[in-house]
Amino acid sequence: MKKLLFLVLTLALLATTAQGKTLKMALDADPESMDPLVQLSGGMLQYSHLVFDPLIRWTKDMKFEPRLATKWERLDELTVRFYLRPDVKFHSGNPFTANDVAWTLERLKKSEDFKGLFTAFANPKIIDDYTIDIVTTEPYPLVENIATYIFPMDAKFYTGTDDKGQSKDAIVKTEYSFANENESGTGPYMVTHREHGVKIVYTRFADYWDKDSKGNIKEIILTPIKENATRTAALLSGDVDFIAPVPPQDLDRLAKHQDINLQTMPGSRVITLQMNQKRKPEFADLRVRQAIIAAIDNAGIAAKIMKGDATPAQQQGPEGFDGYVADLAPRYNLEKAQALMKEAGFEKGFDATMIAPNNRYVNDDKIAEAVVSMLSKIGIKVSLKTMPKAQYWDEFDAQVADIQMVGWHSDTEDSANFSEYLIMCPDKETGKGQYNSGNYCNPKLDELINQANVETDRTKRTAMLQEVERIAYNDAAFVPLHWQNLSWAAKKGIDIEPIVNIMDFPYLGDLVME
Amino acid sequence: MRLWKKFKNSYALYSFLRDPVAMGSFIILSVLALSAFGAPIIAPHNPYDTTTINIMDAELPPVWQEDADPSFLLGTDAQGRDMLSTMLYGMRVSLVIGIGATMLQAIIGIILGLISGYRGGKIDSFLMRMADVQLSFSTLMVAIFLSAIFQALFGVAAFERLAIPFLVLVIGIAEWPQYARTVRASVLAEKKKEYVEAARVIGLPSRRIMWRHILPNTLSPILVLSTVQVAHAILSEAALSFLGLGMPITKPSLGSLINSGFDYIFSGSWWITLFPGFLLVLLILVINLLGDFVQDVLNPKLYKG
Amino acid sequence: MFAFIVRRVIQAIIVMLIISFLGFALKQNVGDPVREITGISVSVAEREAIRDKLGLNDPFFTQYFRFLKGAVLEGNLGQSFFYKKPALEVILKKAPATLELVFVCSIFIVLLSIPMGMYSAIYPKRILSRIIMGLSTLGVSIPIFLIAIVFIYIFSIQLNWLPSYGRGETVTIWGWESGLFTIDGLKHLILPATALTALMLPLFVRLIRSEMMEALQTEYVKFAWAKGLSPMRIWVVHAFKNTLLPVITVGGVQIGTLIAFTILTETVFQWGGLGFLFLEAVERADTSLLVAYLIFVGIIFVVVNTVVDIIYGLVNPMVRVTGRK
Repeated sequence: MKKLLFLVLTLALLATTAQGKTLKMALDADPESMDPLVQLSGGMLQYSHLVFDPLIRWTKDMKFEPRLATKWERLDELTVRFYLRPDVKFHSGNPFTANDVAWTLERLKKSEDFKGLFTAFANPKIIDDYTIDIVTTEPYPLVENIATYIFPMDAKFYTGTDDKGQSKDAIVKTEYSFANENESGTGPYMVTHREHGVKIVYTRFADYWDKDSKGNIKEIILTPIKENATRTAALLSGDVDFIAPVPPQDLDRLAKHQDINLQTMPGSRVITLQMNQKRKPEFADLRVRQAIIAAIDNAGIAAKIMKGDATPAQQQGPEGFDGYVADLAPRYNLEKAQALMKEAGFEKGFDATMIAPNNRYVNDDKIAEAVVSMLSKIGIKVSLKTMPKAQYWDEFDAQVADIQMVGWHSDTEDSANFSEYLIMCPDKETGKGQYNSGNYCNPKLDELINQANVETDRTKRTAMLQEVERIAYNDAAFVPLHWQNLSWAAKKGIDIEPIVNIMDFPYLGDLVME
Repeated sequence: MRLWKKFKNSYALYSFLRDPVAMGSFIILSVLALSAFGAPIIAPHNPYDTTTINIMDAELPPVWQEDADPSFLLGTDAQGRDMLSTMLYGMRVSLVIGIGATMLQAIIGIILGLISGYRGGKIDSFLMRMADVQLSFSTLMVAIFLSAIFQALFGVAAFERLAIPFLVLVIGIAEWPQYARTVRASVLAEKKKEYVEAARVIGLPSRRIMWRHILPNTLSPILVLSTVQVAHAILSEAALSFLGLGMPITKPSLGSLINSGFDYIFSGSWWITLFPGFLLVLLILVINLLGDFVQDVLNPKLYKG
Repeated sequence: MFAFIVRRVIQAIIVMLIISFLGFALKQNVGDPVREITGISVSVAEREAIRDKLGLNDPFFTQYFRFLKGAVLEGNLGQSFFYKKPALEVILKKAPATLELVFVCSIFIVLLSIPMGMYSAIYPKRILSRIIMGLSTLGVSIPIFLIAIVFIYIFSIQLNWLPSYGRGETVTIWGWESGLFTIDGLKHLILPATALTALMLPLFVRLIRSEMMEALQTEYVKFAWAKGLSPMRIWVVHAFKNTLLPVITVGGVQIGTLIAFTILTETVFQWGGLGFLFLEAVERADTSLLVAYLIFVGIIFVVVNTVVDIIYGLVNPMVRVTGRK
């Protein structure tokens, strides 16, 4: 018995050394499914980058780099041609061809979560096995941005019916489906074990096409640890090698720690407050809105509550986005705020209500709390209720309070997306302004966004988007607070710096560990 | 006057004066309670007056450390509130909720437990299965349910004003079965004893037997439970705050202060969680020590000496 | 006895019906599950379509009767939105983690509370008794997550003796995923079990002490002394046995509560058990899992309390359990 145990142990030891490095990582959540099209979320996209591979992907400096497409060119207003990499194999062993791209595109248009991004896409034209024309129904400037969402799936693998008699390509959100529990992508890792909510184990795919990748991690064990303090503790105690996100209050300690490699980077998720002009007539007065913005010290919030782990914002899109306007000055000025309130006839102030989530954005409830005390200084007495995100969005949609918090990350990594959801006139028909609970509405701004959405000339388009940010700034359309930073921490010797990026998709396939 | 005389000669006072632990606890509790309810007068700042709070004062350490501001004796929290004042105000909230909710639990639990144990039969089964249902719906579910009703009735704005009675109600309703089952168990054991039979034989009404004869004999476990439940209720409120169902974050209780300090445990700002933690431990400690004393004195079955 | 059991089973079914009804009435207030399973930019119409597909837009009673039908005919308590599996399966999968934690914690409590409680009742004036009582008071006063995080800080980060989170390595025995049979699993168990014990122990020490002090003053114990029985026999057989009734009652309720709602400890230690599952179901508005969970917990309480009632009769023959002939 003892001998047997010894043998097993040695074998296990040999096996691990032969396989190479293992990375133990803890994130705040694990991927919702193994089917990349079941849900559009940060976690699912991170998963997609491990197990699948996109046609092209974002680089650290917001450019595109070839992955499964080696190059691409715009043929006309409606068509972009992608040249695909030959000799790529799926995990199942099937070869990757243009047919898989077309098949995936069709499936994307069926996915409840992704179809919104692909509305402008018509059926693609397969030129040959390794060339495909992506066609849109109207001129569409963001084909490349959207191409980062095309993670070709193994058409052969996902076609047919499984042993339960269900179609293998069905996209099922709440029950068993073949795709929820099996995968075949082209990515650097295969899922070898998965217990949802507990852990997921990735093993390096032996036939991975990218032989130039220096990545040397053979196995990744991902455990979700939702509690911030526990996640930090797991890294400090050496139970895991890599954590994200790092809670702002622990940044200082981890930065000073000599065995820890901490990386932070400005992110693109903007946190804003919306002032409901319909619910609260006072907010329809431009001066009141300006006063509120002037009363809120968003730099102070970024410095103190976010511990410097955020960039104070004056507009929707951060630097690097096309619409970013560099010269929008900070507006915090308490005296001016008080003067504006007086001018508007509210010297004595008024009461208002506010809601904010307490587990959706980093320190969201603490931010809201700080805003309450800042607004009290111009006489606006705010009664605040915070709640978990599961309950928050229904209340948000019902517009139960005068001031409501909303954060936004642009799925397209493009400025127009912010305005479409947050400040365009709410319209149930078109779905624009879906999260505009401030009911701010400026037809001129809407017009600009609609034009920008069909403008393929980048320079012209940039001018339009910048104009939009200026209008929103001058109209005091909403209160911009900050862009959340992104943060990752790993043990020394794990070189995470090159593989992390503003999209928060760590390209673990290229990770090097000493 | 006669009452005073009676009290002066009572056994309770006699043993109290001879028990330094009880006296010490009583003094500390009095000081704590006085400073909690006198917070608006004693506290150097008013944490509920949001106009005085400045975010740039956030996380200042206590005065004896570097970078401290002398106007904040025990430092400030993440919002820039004075820790000392916030703790005093918070203690008031915690005391009211802790004691109020425990009393509500005890009242509901004792009444139902007495009836259940004494009457037996169908009523007993009914009440005890009701307790099982209640136990399955933890405090959290009760809070979610009541807060939805509350919001529908009063709107978002009223929550800040009515949070304390709301929480007393939630925690009081959610945790009565513990009492009911404990009282019932004691009643089951007591009701077959001779003195109850005797009372019944001489024709006393059953209500009198329950209250005057059986209840005093079940006091000991009730008291043990109560002191523990006060602590528990204070912490329940803290757990509810975490889910946005407790005190509004602009009016923190002691428990929610500690809870929010949880985030700062590795950050070096130890005072945010440690001071309220220490105060809470002290508060509950003296309540428990006094509870022990009261229990020993009041228990009719213990022969003193 | 048989009639008693039958009656309890019928009562349990009624309890479950009431719980499922209340659970259904409640679930709207927990939040919108569809929000949790879709990306934020999904359109309102699309979301409505998903809601229709899942039957969440049907009238209350249609949904409730559909649920009852599934539960009675197929034993199907609904489908967890998050886990994409039958809710009951998810609950049963998580149960071993909590049951083992509660089991180990109960052993600690029994082993510690009885001698501690008895000692401090027999010798109330001794220093050791005062220390026991002081510590137990302290234990109940410190919030559990504070104890937990201090444990992690000392034993995981500073000393690096014990792991900070999770269950570690487990072995599967007849479908039961156990951490009790591996060194790694046991190591992972120590901190959460100790933290939980620190929280629960004081109540039992105090309860045993106070009941025992009462028992020691009774006539029959005095009579036993007079008869010249050995002190051990008097303390254990005469006095201690009579303290058990309230201890068992409180213990029963506490064990039920521990199994169902050990939320904070499980969250801090990332212990994948039932309390953690419950909290996550609330946070994710996984409403069908939540309803199934409440029913499951209802069964636990009925069973535990039934067992407690039966034990009453065994411990104290004077108690006649209602319904027992």
